[in-house]
Amino acid sequence: MSENSKQSPDAPTPARFQVSRFTLLADTWMGRLIRFGGVSVVVAVLGMLVFLVCQVLPLFSGAKLESLTPVTFEKTAVGFGEDEYGELPFTCDAAGKLEFRHAYSAAGAAAGVVTKTWSPTLAPGQKVTTIRTYPRDGLVILGLSDGNILEVKVTYKIAFDEKGGRTPQPQIVALPAQQLGKKLLPCLDVWSVKGPNGHMVICRQQEAGHDFLTAARLTEKSGMGGPVVTAGNAFSVASDIPDLERVFVPSTADSVIVVRKDGEVRVYTIEEEEVSFLQSFKPFASLPDSRIASAGLIFGNVSLVVNSFNGVEEVWSIYPQVQSNGQTQRRWGKIHDCEPLAGAGQGIFPAVGNKCYLTVAGGRMQIRNMTNGSLRWDAPAPAAEIQQVVFSRNYDRLAVLSADGVLRRWSIEDHHPEASWNTFFGKIWYEGASAPAYTWQSSSGADEFEAKYSLVPLLYGTIKGTFYALLFAIPIALLAAVYVSQFLRPELKKIIKPTMEVMASLPSVVLGFLAGLWLAPIVDANLLPLICLVAALAPAALTAGFAWSSLPQPIRRKVGPGWEFAYLIPFVVFCGWLAWQAAPMIESTFFSVKDLASGQTISDFREWWRQNSGWSYDSRNSIVVGFVMGFAVIPIVFTIAEDALSNVPDALVSGSLALGASRWQTVWSVVVPTAISGIVSGIMIGFGRAVGETMIVVMATGNTPVMEANPFNGMRTLSANIAVELPEAAVGQTHYRALFLGACCLFALTFIINTFAEILRQRLRERYKVV
Amino acid sequence: MNPSASRIKVQPATESEGRKDYIRIQDFGFWYGAKKALDAISLDVPERRVVAFIGPSGCGKSTLLRNLNRMNDLVDGIRHEGDIQIAGRSIYDPGIEVISLRRRVGMVFQKSNPFPKSIYDNVVYALRIMGVTDRAVLDEACETSLRKAALWDEVKDRLNDSALGLSGGQMQRLCIARAIANRPEILLMDEPCSALDPIATGKIEELIHELKAQFTIVIVTHSMQQAARVSDRTAFFYLGKLIEYDTTEKIFMNPSQAQTEAYISGRFG
Ligand SMILES: Nc1ncnc2c1ncn2[C@@H]1O[C@H](COP(=O)(O)OP(=O)(O)OP(=O)(O)O)[C@@H](O)[C@H]1O
Ligand SMILES: [Mg+2]
Repeated sequence: MSENSKQSPDAPTPARFQVSRFTLLADTWMGRLIRFGGVSVVVAVLGMLVFLVCQVLPLFSGAKLESLTPVTFEKTAVGFGEDEYGELPFTCDAAGKLEFRHAYSAAGAAAGVVTKTWSPTLAPGQKVTTIRTYPRDGLVILGLSDGNILEVKVTYKIAFDEKGGRTPQPQIVALPAQQLGKKLLPCLDVWSVKGPNGHMVICRQQEAGHDFLTAARLTEKSGMGGPVVTAGNAFSVASDIPDLERVFVPSTADSVIVVRKDGEVRVYTIEEEEVSFLQSFKPFASLPDSRIASAGLIFGNVSLVVNSFNGVEEVWSIYPQVQSNGQTQRRWGKIHDCEPLAGAGQGIFPAVGNKCYLTVAGGRMQIRNMTNGSLRWDAPAPAAEIQQVVFSRNYDRLAVLSADGVLRRWSIEDHHPEASWNTFFGKIWYEGASAPAYTWQSSSGADEFEAKYSLVPLLYGTIKGTFYALLFAIPIALLAAVYVSQFLRPELKKIIKPTMEVMASLPSVVLGFLAGLWLAPIVDANLLPLICLVAALAPAALTAGFAWSSLPQPIRRKVGPGWEFAYLIPFVVFCGWLAWQAAPMIESTFFSVKDLASGQTISDFREWWRQNSGWSYDSRNSIVVGFVMGFAVIPIVFTIAEDALSNVPDALVSGSLALGASRWQTVWSVVVPTAISGIVSGIMIGFGRAVGETMIVVMATGNTPVMEANPFNGMRTLSANIAVELPEAAVGQTHYRALFLGACCLFALTFIINTFAEILRQRLRERYKVV
Repeated sequence: MNPSASRIKVQPATESEGRKDYIRIQDFGFWYGAKKALDAISLDVPERRVVAFIGPSGCGKSTLLRNLNRMNDLVDGIRHEGDIQIAGRSIYDPGIEVISLRRRVGMVFQKSNPFPKSIYDNVVYALRIMGVTDRAVLDEACETSLRKAALWDEVKDRLNDSALGLSGGQMQRLCIARAIANRPEILLMDEPCSALDPIATGKIEELIHELKAQFTIVIVTHSMQQAARVSDRTAFFYLGKLIEYDTTEKIFMNPSQAQTEAYISGRFG
């Protein structure tokens, strides 16, 4: 005391009160390290989120079009064509004269300067009556006044100069004229299609006010002095179509779609040279003005976009329909109502390679996607009437020729035309389908296949898998946790708890492997006995419990507290065995069905299920997945819930018991409510594990993205989908980004549910907190 | 702390005398595993009286108290000999359910242990688990018990608030209210005031006086004054043995054993 009082305020602190520098330093540095760790975790999670969002955002941006310098041609131009890079476009006037102009200033040629002109050489008396250009095929087809047609092929040869500059050189080859239509009648329209079924030309002529179409298949061989074209027999497609307005010939050359002035569409099918009428429909029959303002056949040849004079736009397509005679046949029907247009339709121009089209109406031009109805681009249309529109093959350039002779050009940047909110989350009527549906089908063998990216079946699968897993895992895990923490002998608890913790670390690949290769066949072979077994267990356990409680005290007291299960187990095992033995009898009594193959009556629950539920039966099904995924989830939920339950203060338990509550009442009304926030955490972590579980689902289900609540078939979950498809998705493609969108959904799903659970947990903790 | 004679209040006998051996402990011995905690205890607790157990720490007061409602059954490896009878019937009788025994013998713990529920739910807990659902009955019981526990006026406006928001003294009175809500016959109190300030202690002591009219009370306490103030009879334990059991007056004024004398005069313990 005296020693302390002698000290002046600034005297050094005695050594025994001093803190060593090392302790202080360690303290500061550990503090920093921990803070750094914490911040890094937050940054890592945010970074992941940002990465995901960055991968996904481009899906939802529309098309970006950048205008290129327009090229001005003669006002007489009615059609045009261009080379692969759009460097040297040409126009064609009504007389068949071709005129080439440079689109860019290049070596030796300024932009807009005419570099070449060409006119067809016609026999005396022949006149060009109609022309049609197929820019992407480099084809100009001329209809002549005597019923002949003349095909002109335009190809470009690239010449390189010394400096490496490239100049395209147009090469023009006119094939010999072919007599196609009726002699001496002028061709009024000509079409040429080249598809997998060969090359076909069609012409329209008129006799006594009636339109008729004549077609011929062409075969082309290279001869000595150039290609030799031989025309097959000319055959009549439709001999008398009143008020014919427009004709569409799919590139498959197996049908002709005719649009009449009153708005009726007629479809004829062509098989070799046999033509038959298939169907006629009137899209705008219910509108006051039923005429079709413009129409366009979308890439893929099975959908026709039509619009009316009052701005209504619809998509009609051919798909299997049940006919009045009960048969299912492919017929045309409406599949989409598009967003209304700004005014009367003025033209529909499809793109190649995807389902987009340019629609011109009311002074606007819009690029729309036919399948998902999304608007990709919207811009004012040129004042003059649009003659022809060409999308480049890879959908990266757009050229529009208007009646004032100006060729307006744009470069297109639209990497994901098939993506929209609707594609991923909406019900979409795909071409060829009989109804709108949520479909995930990212790839297929067919070339003209349209990928389908609905995430809904995957979300459904995720929830279904989680549901079955939790349905199995949660009751077992929680009941086990309650039993182990409150009733079981401490000696046994010491063994069971670590065992469960080891179970939690089982790699899910092993579980998935067991599920798919070992468990699924066993379940498949013993389905009904297993169902009976499971169904018998709960009643057996309850009966055993009831019987136990009605036994007289002295007998019960012989079994020490916590050893009751020793009495329960044989009873339950016996009941299970009984159920197993009874299963064949139950199967033959209740589940006998006629085998469709042999016609005999067989007792097979699986067959019964197939025939009576309207659902399929799959050996790798949700039950197996739920069971095995349950195994992955049980230990986690159990461990956390058991900890929470064990941590309930003994004082509360004795308090309740001292008030005359039975042990079960104590557990139910004191222990469980007090531990509830821990139990909720356990459930949530189990939920998170089940939602994100990948390998078990990949291995133990068929991974079919179906939307059926059926417990006896599989599912495809978001996580499994990513695992299965990411390796085959090209970076930056729609498919790739769609998978990332799936990941985002997974993230969002767990985030929302966990946030919700955390709020719930906080509330419960507030309510049941223990001092 | 030598209790001066003037501070000792002698309790006036209540009007109706109950049976003298309402709780009868006979040659009761008790083991925790191999450790003997109680040795041949015999004592009778008269009906509607307060009996205090005093003695140094570890002498087995709580053990004996907890045996009266068989709370020790929860402990592993226990063994007992001798017998305890309540109203003439052994509590170890195989025909007696432990649960019904505990409904008859209420208990208040040293450390208050309200459930993490509302005040109301705490008080009616025992009734609820007995299957009473009639709201009117519950309300009634809640009010009476809280009134008896001298807590009603303090909490009547916040019956639905969490019991954990009460002060330590209030919580202990709540536990008493909870223990008397299903009207037991015996109330065991293990150092009910050890964590309380003098005012709360005073309230609880008053409470014990009032409760005596209806309940037989056994109270463990370390405070001589408290034993002297509240009890009719006092038992002094030492090392698992009952050293002396007599009227409180006698124990404090004129103990017959030297050990008792030494203990109450503060020479050991
Ligand atoms: N659960 C138990 N297991 C083993 N021994 C116990 C247990 N509870 C008490 N004991 C022992 O029994 C003896 C009596 O304990 P008890 O709790 O009855 O003492 P007490 O008189 O209440 O003491 P205190 O005044 O400190 O509360 C002590 O030696 C104690 O160590
Ligand atoms: Mg004690």
